[in-house]
Amino acid sequence: MNNLAVIETILRNRHRFFTEIRDGVELGHKMRAMLVSGMAFLALYGAVMGSTHSLWQALSSAVKLPILFLATLVVCSPTLYFFNLIFGSNQSLTQNFALILTAITVTAVLLLSFAPIVLFFLLTTSHYQFFKLLNVGVFTVAGIVGVTFLSQGMRLVSASGKEGAGARRNVLRLWILVYAFVGSQMAWTLRPFIGAPSMKFELFRQLGGNFYANIFASIGEILGFFTVR
Amino acid sequence: MNDQQPSRMDQMLDLLVGEIEERMRARQGPALSIDEGPPPVAEPPPPAVEAPVPPVEPQAKVVEVPIPSIIEPLAEPLEAVAAVAEPEAEAEWQPPKPAVSPNTARLMGRLALGLLVAIVLINIPLNRHGTTLATAMPDSAALVIRDGLVLKEEDDEKIYVLQDDKLRWISSLDAFGHFGFTWGDVHIVEDGFLDRFEMGTPLHVLLKCHSSPHIYRLEGGAKRWIVDIKTFEAEGHVWEDVRFVGCGYLRDLPDGETIPPGHGPPPQP
Repeated sequence: MNNLAVIETILRNRHRFFTEIRDGVELGHKMRAMLVSGMAFLALYGAVMGSTHSLWQALSSAVKLPILFLATLVVCSPTLYFFNLIFGSNQSLTQNFALILTAITVTAVLLLSFAPIVLFFLLTTSHYQFFKLLNVGVFTVAGIVGVTFLSQGMRLVSASGKEGAGARRNVLRLWILVYAFVGSQMAWTLRPFIGAPSMKFELFRQLGGNFYANIFASIGEILGFFTVR
Repeated sequence: MNDQQPSRMDQMLDLLVGEIEERMRARQGPALSIDEGPPPVAEPPPPAVEAPVPPVEPQAKVVEVPIPSIIEPLAEPLEAVAAVAEPEAEAEWQPPKPAVSPNTARLMGRLALGLLVAIVLINIPLNRHGTTLATAMPDSAALVIRDGLVLKEEDDEKIYVLQDDKLRWISSLDAFGHFGFTWGDVHIVEDGFLDRFEMGTPLHVLLKCHSSPHIYRLEGGAKRWIVDIKTFEAEGHVWEDVRFVGCGYLRDLPDGETIPPGHGPPPQP
């Protein structure tokens, strides 16, 4: 419950939360709380996604979705840290990590809030391509809100270092793009999360194609242009 | 003597006046202290009450009588008021921080718990094929394992229908059409998926034309002559399986082995 209280502070009083990150107040506790709660929420959402296919897929997605976010965090955070450093930031790597973790936690909370809707569609319709696009939409919305938090946090935490503030803002914008690309490619690598109904359960699918081509193909099938096999 | 000594009623009234004064002070105190600075030391008592009061010291009496039990609770609020009234405290005063209600955290916890329960519930197998609520809802379910499910492996051209837990091969496109299947019914599955099922007898269509007494079974694109009624029945066919087609169409089909085999070249329709 204490972990959830930290999450509540992020949602209700982000200014205070970011100020505490800037001042290094209980960073360890905050990060632990965000990790535990965020990963639990992501696991739940993953389980909902995988339930469309089978119990094994639900369990697999419950494990893979937190891994997806953690791996993306690990891959992308050094870039943000070092570029910020070059442009005059005085943040530590831990503060950087905590800020990105905040974005992931907010995304996870939003995914949790979307989960009942996704569950509803899971039970009432089962057009695979529709369900896939629904999830892409949900992730997009949650992700955008998450990086908005990150952007606000970055601005507040590095407010003391005025030098290079503009450059750091641009770095953050570019980094968000990189983060999105890395995240989507990571998701493609770790797929399936939903599981095609005509296929047996598999932990990982063979590589091939890419995330964006698949999304366009799914839209094409929904609009009746062709069938995705 | 009687005129000079206050009566019991007068004493009671004194006490009442004293109490009213205290309360008035307590009520007016906070407003005055915040808006106008320190509260006034004394206030004139209401004239209507003051008039009958004899020249005694009401305050002293109030202290002596066991009233403190009534007045004491007021002491604390007055102190608080005094503290608020202090100029230093006023200078440091800030708007109170919004209280963080624990409801959201509790709600998040409950939502997560409810979701977990829902996930478990929708993944409980409902039948022996392992169909769950999550995969059994309308239309879905691309692959709800049930009677009448039409399946085809990706790299195999054979189409099967599931009947009584057994896969029955639909032996020709004529049979496919004859039994009312459409391409929309066909679920393409990956190679090897069908290995889990037991194979049943193939699903054939029997062809006959009006001007010929012979009945042929269409199998893999070739027509196989069924030599007699006994064999027809032994193969498990019924008259409903017989489909009437044009004799020309039937003649154009290549000949296959007779049923049973070894009866020479089949007669042409």
